[in-house]
Amino acid sequence: MISIQNVSKHYGAFQVLTDCSTEVNKGEVIVVCGPSGSGKSTLIKCVNGLEPFQSGSITVDGISVGDPKTNLPKLRSRVGMVFQHFELFPHMSITDNLSIAQIKVLGRGKDEATDKGLKLLDRVGLKAHADKFPGQLSGGQQQRVAIARALAMDPICMLFDEPTSALDPEMINEVLDVMVELAQEGMTMMCVTHEMGFARKVANRIVFMDKGQIVEDDDKDSFFGNPRSERARQFLAKILTH
Amino acid sequence: MYEFDWSSIPGALPFLWEGMKVSLEITACAVLFGIAWGTLLAMARLSSIKPLAWLAASYVNLFRAIPLVMVLLWFFLIVPQVLRGVFKLDAGTDVRLASALVGFALFEAAYYSEIIRAGIQSVPKGQISAASALGMSYAQAMRLVVLPQAFRNMVPLLLTQAIVLFQDTSLVYVSALADFFGAAYKVGDRDGRLVELLLFAGAVYFVICFAASQAVRRYQKKLNAHVAH
Ligand SMILES: Nc1ncnc2c1ncn2[C@@H]1O[C@H](COP(=O)(O)OP(=O)(O)OP(=O)(O)O)[C@@H](O)[C@H]1O
Ligand SMILES: [Mg+2]
Repeated sequence: MISIQNVSKHYGAFQVLTDCSTEVNKGEVIVVCGPSGSGKSTLIKCVNGLEPFQSGSITVDGISVGDPKTNLPKLRSRVGMVFQHFELFPHMSITDNLSIAQIKVLGRGKDEATDKGLKLLDRVGLKAHADKFPGQLSGGQQQRVAIARALAMDPICMLFDEPTSALDPEMINEVLDVMVELAQEGMTMMCVTHEMGFARKVANRIVFMDKGQIVEDDDKDSFFGNPRSERARQFLAKILTH
Repeated sequence: MYEFDWSSIPGALPFLWEGMKVSLEITACAVLFGIAWGTLLAMARLSSIKPLAWLAASYVNLFRAIPLVMVLLWFFLIVPQVLRGVFKLDAGTDVRLASALVGFALFEAAYYSEIIRAGIQSVPKGQISAASALGMSYAQAMRLVVLPQAFRNMVPLLLTQAIVLFQDTSLVYVSALADFFGAAYKVGDRDGRLVELLLFAGAVYFVICFAASQAVRRYQKKLNAHVAH
């Protein structure tokens, strides 16, 4: 579904990604982790073309992201993305947040889009909040709305960039529960997260990054059981003592 | 001791009101056009197309470095001739109002574009990313997501600029137009009561602008309270 091959990216002289390659097959859940500044966000944003890259190739459902002829908005409309800071549109009601892209991008009718949005809102347990504005919801609630907003586009896969790291601890689980459910339904997911409990539960593989490189790309049992690199070992030790 | 004599004002009120209408007309027109053109300029300045950004920056810097009264004079001298040439108007058609409007609007757009540029930049970058990630084009992201938030944040500044602009309309007297200030001057000149008329005009400007500023302030307080919530 997602294929990343030998991707490198630099900002001027600063190398952010070096020769990164990995795959996410249909129905798989991949967790990407690594220290701050290792290039996780950059890599995941390359997948839907929010960040350009200089060499290598990425294809999503067979479509090349780096190809200048690719209709990027169209491709992005088929790839859901959830951000660390939710990024709901604060000037729109929750209902409008859920329907605006369905209407303006997919050309759905207003009633159809609203219905679909409300169904997904119900699914993430927030039906009662349809007429509120994002600023009136807690962080965890906003993030669940953001997931529903992405799902409303009927995505073929979902990208998550640290969806719980801006949340108070007591709200993390309500978001992870939604993500676990999504994974169990067979959604293809690429998740940057440090929630190792989530990784253990649903991930097929773990990708560990450091200094712009993919240092490990392993199934979860070998990653947690016996990480090959020293850096991954240190990282795990640090994260698990937290 | 100077003897004030206000007796020429009541009879002149209808004439002064006509002048006020001209002032308000110029203000409204310059605000609307200034915001529209200013928005385009601001987007051009923030564009990644370098020549476009450069042109917009030059425009803004040029108009901000020239006194308004000179712009108005140029437009008083040039625009009427151009209009006459283009539309084959006969020499009698009064195009001074149009010329004052055009000059004003072009000038104010430079100031509005700076306010709007700051407003656009005040919207977090993540909002564009989120809009793009949903499949919106750059234009859609701007129109549906960034600009509405930018304008909501900017309303107080835009209104404050409109108040400044309303005061600036008095400068159209250089084109011998009977705006409110021009009308007051004419009446005062005719009756030999210039001091009284100009004091009266000043008081009217003060009352209008002060009341408007207070209203903007109240609105801003409400807005801040809403954002904090
Ligand atoms: N626009 C930019 N210009 C220059 N350097 C950048 C830019 N964006 C990111 N970087 C750098 O690229 C590196 C990777 O950034 P990235 O955000 O991908 O890291 P990350 O792994 O997501 O980190 P975190 O866990 O803190 O989110 C960082 O060192 C960052 O400083
Ligand atoms: Mg990051």
